[in-house]
Amino acid sequence: MADAIAAPRGHRFAADRALALISFKRRLAYKTTWLFSITFGGWQLLVGIVVWEHIIGAGSVGGYDWDAMRAYLLIGFVTSTIAWGGADWQMANRILDGLVAIDMTKPVDFQRARAAEYVGGAASVLPTAVLGAVAAWFLFDPQLPVTPLAGVLTVVSILFIFPMAFGVGYLSIMLCFWTRRYLGIQWAKDGFVAFFSGMMVPLALMPGWLQVLSWCLPFPHFTTTPAAIYLGRVDTLGALGLIAAEAAWVVVMWGGARLIWRRAIKKVTIHGG
Amino acid sequence: MAETTIDIRTASPVRHAAEVYRRSLVAHLRSIVEYPADFWVMASSGALWQILQFAFIAILFANVSAVAGWGYHEMLLLIGFLTLTGGTTAMLCDGVWSIGSMVIKGEIDYRITRPAPVIVQVASTHVGMQAFGEVTLGAAMFVYGWIGAGLSPALIPVALLLLACGLVIEMALMTAMCAVNFWVKGTASIFGFILVDLQENVMRFPLGIYPAAVRVVATFVVPLGFASFVPVQILTSRLSAWWLIGPPVAAAATVAAAALVVRAGLRSYDSAGH
Repeated sequence: MADAIAAPRGHRFAADRALALISFKRRLAYKTTWLFSITFGGWQLLVGIVVWEHIIGAGSVGGYDWDAMRAYLLIGFVTSTIAWGGADWQMANRILDGLVAIDMTKPVDFQRARAAEYVGGAASVLPTAVLGAVAAWFLFDPQLPVTPLAGVLTVVSILFIFPMAFGVGYLSIMLCFWTRRYLGIQWAKDGFVAFFSGMMVPLALMPGWLQVLSWCLPFPHFTTTPAAIYLGRVDTLGALGLIAAEAAWVVVMWGGARLIWRRAIKKVTIHGG
Repeated sequence: MAETTIDIRTASPVRHAAEVYRRSLVAHLRSIVEYPADFWVMASSGALWQILQFAFIAILFANVSAVAGWGYHEMLLLIGFLTLTGGTTAMLCDGVWSIGSMVIKGEIDYRITRPAPVIVQVASTHVGMQAFGEVTLGAAMFVYGWIGAGLSPALIPVALLLLACGLVIEMALMTAMCAVNFWVKGTASIFGFILVDLQENVMRFPLGIYPAAVRVVATFVVPLGFASFVPVQILTSRLSAWWLIGPPVAAAATVAAAALVVRAGLRSYDSAGH
């Protein structure tokens, strides 16, 4: 396992930094995409606000009253912007169009290079997330974090979404070695993330068995974990435990992807030539 | 497979266009059969999203008894209706999504020179395979909601008429939205995405929960309401039978609007610079 996690020799941090920066700039170049991501995200937040205000009213559902739910939806807006912000397609296309064969000849580690690009690209949506969150904050006046420490830990847990989203995205693009197409896999992956994270409906509303199933998967950390820490549904120790679980998932997905990669590269098809 | 051939000189233009459309779609279906694994991945992911959609409604109604006065089975009828019309649209005219890339690459040229309506040729270039999963699950939700809500089988002809109108509205709006790419150049049909997003996020809840302005716009300006919300209200007797006039009128109006947009788009089309 330790061997699986280590990068090949010769791959330096400067390469990661350069790849992340290029990816970041490339994403910022497409301003309409940037604009639409905030519009779509904002729109879904508005629908969420209307629907849940209607459903909760003066009462509470799943332990969330209307004040708590506003904060939950706002956190969901930030986390989903980050989770959908990565460019899975760019990674998938390298495998689908055979560019991966050339990548193998380069003195950089494929997985680390993709991770650097992914995080650089996803970072380009941070302005969207921050601007949207600030605007929504003034509009909807959500509840504050239970303690300042919980606020800090919420930010830490949200930052972990970057490597986690990479892990889930990278593992799903690995399937392209076998399927030779990505669209169906991407939709399925997006469905799992949206549902089991609590973006669609809070996990607390689900039946017990479904909650247990969700927590066996990496997805709840994409929304439920930051929201639970922020709203004080877990104490400080519980919050640290959840963040540790996120870190563990990052390591497990990273190592697992290495193991799959070793098998997958035997399937590389080089088109044309 | 016996193919009927029609003589282009004698056939009526409508029949000729219908034949071109049918053949083009069948040719695409044949190519799908060549890649069965891809078909199953796409159809399963379409089905998965609908299962999650169903789970969402089931979870919601395990916690509350009604949303804007709508019960569990009525909500399933609404979502089933939306999924059926949306899924069938992806089966029948998914090619319109490629208008954007065809405009950029100058590929409309080729279609203008052929003896069939351009939009018919473009619409039949692709079949959304996810739709096979969506339609199956959508039909299941619709039937389950129908039985649960205790609707009479006598309403089936009305339901079929309303579904047909909903499908026509959806196809016409999708075509018009994707045709915006004649002017807004880009490979991504952003306006198409907006329509899908509206249908999946806003219209899956009864319009009654939204502010009045949203209700008016979604019913009379962009007649999405007539493609799902009004029909389901008619079926569940929330609206009088008089409202049955609405969906066919809205369908005719959206088809006319889509035809105008496509014509204007084709007129402004100036091919790709070479």
